[in-house]
Amino acid sequence: MEVKPTKTIDERGEVCPVPDVDTKRALKKMKKGEILEVLIDYPLSKERIPATVKKEGHEVLAVEEIGPSEWRILIKV
Amino acid sequence: MGILLGIITGIAFGYVLQRGRVCFNSAFRDLKLLKDNFLFKAVIFAMALEVITFHFMAQYGWIHLNPKPLNLVANIIGPFIFGMGMVLAGGCASGTTYRVGEGNTTAWLAVFSYGLGAWATKAGIFSPLLKAVGKYTVKIQYSNPLYLTDKSGKVSPTLATLFHISPWTMAWIVFAIFIIYVLFTKTSERPDSKLSWWAIGLLLLPIAAFGFWSSTISGRPYGLGITGGWISIFKSFTLNKSLSWEGAEVLGVIIGALIAALINKEFKFRVPKKGSTYLQVLVGGLMLGFGAAFGGGCNIGHFFTGIPQLALSSWIAGVFFILGNWTMTWIMYERG
Repeated sequence: MEVKPTKTIDERGEVCPVPDVDTKRALKKMKKGEILEVLIDYPLSKERIPATVKKEGHEVLAVEEIGPSEWRILIKV
Repeated sequence: MGILLGIITGIAFGYVLQRGRVCFNSAFRDLKLLKDNFLFKAVIFAMALEVITFHFMAQYGWIHLNPKPLNLVANIIGPFIFGMGMVLAGGCASGTTYRVGEGNTTAWLAVFSYGLGAWATKAGIFSPLLKAVGKYTVKIQYSNPLYLTDKSGKVSPTLATLFHISPWTMAWIVFAIFIIYVLFTKTSERPDSKLSWWAIGLLLLPIAAFGFWSSTISGRPYGLGITGGWISIFKSFTLNKSLSWEGAEVLGVIIGALIAALINKEFKFRVPKKGSTYLQVLVGGLMLGFGAAFGGGCNIGHFFTGIPQLALSSWIAGVFFILGNWTMTWIMYERG
């Protein structure tokens, strides 16, 4: 997906649930309409982050594979 | 034979753990941190089915119910420390073990210190502590063909003996409570999950049942566990002892998770950016090992296998696993 993220956080290699917590904290600091890119390689969080940010009212633009067991999640605040 | 049965059980268990991302650390923590009950529901559903299945198997003499020793001091302190440790280690006993097969290098270190800590508590430097609390262990005189009794005809207390009702009545009560929770509470959506919560529960049941039976005929009258398995692996590595059923099961979990990760292209050597993460999981692993060996079991032996047997020790341990987990979650991720 061709969008320019406002901010990128690299969560590859982090232990559970650091990717979830960092995502939540990053979103809290961002303004409406901005886009957060989360780079991730942990399968559980890849499935859990989209579900939990939707619940908080954000929009998940895409979950894309960017490498072997690596994904990027694009979230619109 | 025991090794073969253990490996088979473990491979199936590891496969489902990886596919379902079944981690009790996440199950407990998500309830509080993310207000998400997806994994917790999967686990409770599996345990509801286990309650009836285990009692049924015991009724037919295929297994004997063998509740873990009740020791109020150990069953509170051990699980509380274990619960805190799983947050630091980035996973519980089963979670860190299956992630070894996913290529998670922090999990490799966590299981290493977990096994070492458990063994040190059972037989090494921390063993005087375990011995010191031994005097608080409570057993009761009880005769019921469903249960395995010791030489003097005693068993560890269960919810059934506590309330003076038959094991079957208590089993159906617990089953009903679990099923009501599962069916009548709102489930957190997780649309990207490979398995639904009820599929995870259904897949775990035959593994738990086959595990209990195959472990029993291998001379270990108990179901799925992890801690004793890691101790067995350490012993066979350093003392050349033969691997127990549980040791083989743990190796199987790693193999099963590795297969699942490879097939689904989820295997990767995962390395954290900060070196201090390794220190954190090292400490967490030691707490897991100490907590499990001191408190009589981990989240699989106590929680997943003990609660369905209605063991009072496991029910108490379960509460303190969750409290320890929530305490450390608050310290690490919720403050400020």
